[in-house]
Amino acid sequence: MPDKTITIRAARFDPEHDKEPRLQSYEVPFYDESMVVLDALNHIKSHIDGSLSYRWSCRMGICGSCGMTVNGTPKLTCNAFLRDYWPRPIVVQPLNNFPVIRDLVIDMDDFMHKLKSIKPWIIRRQEMPLGAGEHRQTNEQIDDFRQFSECINCMLCYAACPVYGLNNEFLGPAATALARRYNLDSRDQGLKERLPVIADPEGIWECSFVGECSVVCPKGVDPAKAIQQTKLDTTMRFVLPYGNRD
Amino acid sequence: MAKEYPWRMPVAWWTRNRHYFLYIVREFTAAPLALWLLWLLYDISQKSLVHPRAFAIFSVVCLPFALYHSYTFLSLAGSIIHFKVFDRPVSARLIVASQFAAWIGASLVIGFFLTWLK
Repeated sequence: MPDKTITIRAARFDPEHDKEPRLQSYEVPFYDESMVVLDALNHIKSHIDGSLSYRWSCRMGICGSCGMTVNGTPKLTCNAFLRDYWPRPIVVQPLNNFPVIRDLVIDMDDFMHKLKSIKPWIIRRQEMPLGAGEHRQTNEQIDDFRQFSECINCMLCYAACPVYGLNNEFLGPAATALARRYNLDSRDQGLKERLPVIADPEGIWECSFVGECSVVCPKGVDPAKAIQQTKLDTTMRFVLPYGNRD
Repeated sequence: MAKEYPWRMPVAWWTRNRHYFLYIVREFTAAPLALWLLWLLYDISQKSLVHPRAFAIFSVVCLPFALYHSYTFLSLAGSIIHFKVFDRPVSARLIVASQFAAWIGASLVIGFFLTWLK
């Protein structure tokens, strides 16, 4: 084992035996400056304690599976470098604001339902026949929504949002950002189908602009901006005489 | 299905993070401003300042709250307001700067009129 090690304090919760989560310490070799928290968890799983449960997949900040709370902050563990914490111990816990299934695994059903509720796909009133050609877009039209299309559904924004933590009826940051992504898409005609969900009192109006969702977003999506801009657009649709035109 | 451990929001959640704390401070600043406004409305209904000295002191106390609330509100304008000029989006920084310029301009105009009317 190399001389340099780091202490990982991982949350453990076995629903069959534990009343509440507890922390368990592991000494992990820190042999490479490029090691991330996910590498440390994988080392624990492979060499120390095979019962540790957590989600992960791509290891490169694309899949959004490995979001956890690292020293109190929601992070992708594949993008949290051990060198930024060493020699202090690292406390790894499941994402805040969600029920815990086991160890570091949260129940994401609520998020999935919210995601589906905003109909995150292109909606056309009448689809053109394939022979009519593709729906062409200019670079400027893509720029209108590109930022909001970068979301990887990692749920860090939900874990950082105290509004969601206090009221899980809130539609939340990522779902609203994704709704805005489609509403701004020049090919989409589904705004009126999404409005009942996003303009609901538990939708955008529940947000009081804490802004932490945008701080923790690993992809620079800025969901807080998406929510505030949707508030403004929704208000303008209501106030201005031409607002309800398609 | 095995039982899950439910999420419980800690009472002191707003102390866990600097941003949360500043957010609570920002929201709290509305409380003294609301009290100040209620006091002013009461005095207007009485057609005079009932307790002029106390109102002056309370106004001075409320001023930093008003300034902080205005500062945070205008700073966020860049995230909220979005429009294009000649098909190009106006930068958030320019929008925020214009909000502060309008705030300072309006304050100067009101200050001038208050001084002039006196």
